Amino acid sequence: MREFVNFYDMTLARHVLTLFNMMFADPAVPLTRAPHRTAAIDRKPVAVAVLLIVLLSLAGCGKSRPVEFRLNTEGRDPASISPAQREAIVGMLTDLFGTPDDPRVPPGVNLDLELLRRAAGPTRRDFSGVERGLYRKHCAVCHGISGDGAGPIAAMLNPYPRDYRYGVFKYTSTVLGAKPTRQDLERTIRRGIPGTGMPSFAPLPDEDIQALIEYVQYLSIRGETELYLLRLVVDENELLPLSKQSVIDEGVLPVAEAWEAPEKDPEHWVVRPQRPQLDEAQLKAAIERGKLVYQEPRSQCVKCHGPEGRGDGEQTDLYDDWNKPKKGVTEEQTRQLSRWFSLPLQQLKPRNFQEGIFHGGGRPEDIYLRIYVGIKGTPMPAMGPSPGQPGILTPEEIWDLTFYVLSLARKNDIKK
Amino acid sequence: MLPDRQREGFGEGRSGTVKGDAMRSESRRTAAKRTVDARKLISRSKYRREFLKKLAALGTLLSVPRPLISSLVLSEEAGQLGELTGRFIYVGTPPERKKLKVDKDVDCCGKYDIRDESLLVGPDGGLANVYVYLRSRGVPVPPGLAEKFPKRVTLDNRDCIFKPHCLAIWYTVQEFYIVNSDPIAQNVAFTPLGDLPANIILAPAPGEKTDATWRFHRTQTEPVHIVCNYHPWESAYILPRDNPYFAISGSDGTFRIPYLPPGEWEFQLWQERVRQLELPSYPRGRFTVTVKPGLNDLGTIRVSPASLKVT
Repeated sequence: MREFVNFYDMTLARHVLTLFNMMFADPAVPLTRAPHRTAAIDRKPVAVAVLLIVLLSLAGCGKSRPVEFRLNTEGRDPASISPAQREAIVGMLTDLFGTPDDPRVPPGVNLDLELLRRAAGPTRRDFSGVERGLYRKHCAVCHGISGDGAGPIAAMLNPYPRDYRYGVFKYTSTVLGAKPTRQDLERTIRRGIPGTGMPSFAPLPDEDIQALIEYVQYLSIRGETELYLLRLVVDENELLPLSKQSVIDEGVLPVAEAWEAPEKDPEHWVVRPQRPQLDEAQLKAAIERGKLVYQEPRSQCVKCHGPEGRGDGEQTDLYDDWNKPKKGVTEEQTRQLSRWFSLPLQQLKPRNFQEGIFHGGGRPEDIYLRIYVGIKGTPMPAMGPSPGQPGILTPEEIWDLTFYVLSLARKNDIKK
Repeated sequence: MLPDRQREGFGEGRSGTVKGDAMRSESRRTAAKRTVDARKLISRSKYRREFLKKLAALGTLLSVPRPLISSLVLSEEAGQLGELTGRFIYVGTPPERKKLKVDKDVDCCGKYDIRDESLLVGPDGGLANVYVYLRSRGVPVPPGLAEKFPKRVTLDNRDCIFKPHCLAIWYTVQEFYIVNSDPIAQNVAFTPLGDLPANIILAPAPGEKTDATWRFHRTQTEPVHIVCNYHPWESAYILPRDNPYFAISGSDGTFRIPYLPPGEWEFQLWQERVRQLELPSYPRGRFTVTVKPGLNDLGTIRVSPASLKVT
């Protein structure tokens, strides 16, 4: 009620008082100066009715439901999770990660709680003027409170906002399979993703962006722990109660370590593009060579991106990892499956280079990375070498290809 | 997660399944007490494990006759290890395997008769590609077992399909080797839960860069689906485990899990059509066996079309 009064000031309260007056006043005595309008009807029942409606509509105002993380039931019948299982999973997650208003960091996980607290909770400014609730202010409308990529306007976007809970991020500088670095997330937040609903948040102060990066990592580690718990408790029907320590050891820490790996050992995990300095003739030659690589069967570029890079290759049945599970063999099956997902099936379009809009950024370095390490969670594979696999192209070939791709997009732009 | 008292193996195994809902009826007090008990047990069993480890090391050093520490040092020579065998039989006539739509790289792949591999039944009714793997945790692995296993598990891209269709890997010991034998580029993509996702391309054979190796970092509770983003009909499965106690039934339907330490262990049956292969005496595809030294034969396991959703 207090919030309500704050919000509406006293205006509504005054109306309620008037209604009380109408109820208890003598109907014969006119309340207003225009008796001819009200004389004909008995004001009392009307007033009672109106008051009831007003009071009923106020009933929910004072105590809004606390903001909660939504259990990840993507792809499964929510009824297949028993109340005890739900309780065990939600309880364990709350124990480890807290709530959207009060985040916690599980032991052994390298997340900065102070930064998380800035990003979490309702949007507000504290007494020292520090802005808080940043995630809800800037991100939740698309990415959802739980980081499920299913916020209120998600269904209207193509591609859908990222669902962090699977721990996969598309645009990274890390080799095949690895988690993104902080810089990768920062770049995405600062520059946005051109051609999608993700805007640039470059005007935000640096601390705010750092807080958001931390919070995205937090939601992602939490999300992957949740998947682990669902597999364990629901699919595996594990004995309850769960042991917190083993959930930490087997569910949380491997994920946290995967996040830390590229930060700790960048030599091994991170690809740093070294753009060759080319004069005009060399660039022209590079583009020619790149064109050949593009058309070679081993690179398979044409398959999806088409002979001229218009994104019209023969491969059309493309889906990212978030949408693949929604796809059945038949359309009927797809319809059946879609009941258990928050967003309908969305197809993936290979980039049309001629449009000149690149989701991962349009600098030569960006294109180079997209080819070298691939786009994670999508059919775009990593062409460059990574630990354990030689890759299909050498860094030089990837630079040639990069210049060719850019030459398709902006013929006059890349001379420098 | 098993409470630790049950994760510690050494012959106790799992003492029955507590239904998930049982927790609700229990008072909080009992639950708390249980946790405390469990903690005590953990420390006790941890202590015991440490002690046994030390004892084992000592035993090896002084070459103490093995039977003295028989509960720990398991040796095949001494005939103390068990072997689990069985055979899956498909009851009835299997439907004809559907021809898959091959509309990519038709020049190369069009000439093969590529068919659905989700149900492979041998001429005498043997059901292939059923996974059988240990579900119990903390089962001891006899020392020296790693040498008995091949260093790598190979997935071959041959004739425009993955060969073999079903794989399992002891990932802490073996490496996953992927190779392309086709004259076209191939892609191998899989996303193990909580592990690094893979999306590998391989150059056309013969030539360079036609192979890759991959490391898994986590054990999976069910096989991971492998796909090829270039050729949507290609499909395979791999089960990464942190122990060597798994098997995949062969074309005659038989399977064999050797080197099992004696004890009461729980196993899982898994088939790609239905995932957990539920059979009349195998609820959720699970069963518990008391493994004795020597042969432990499950006999013939009859699989009906209904249990594989064959219509």
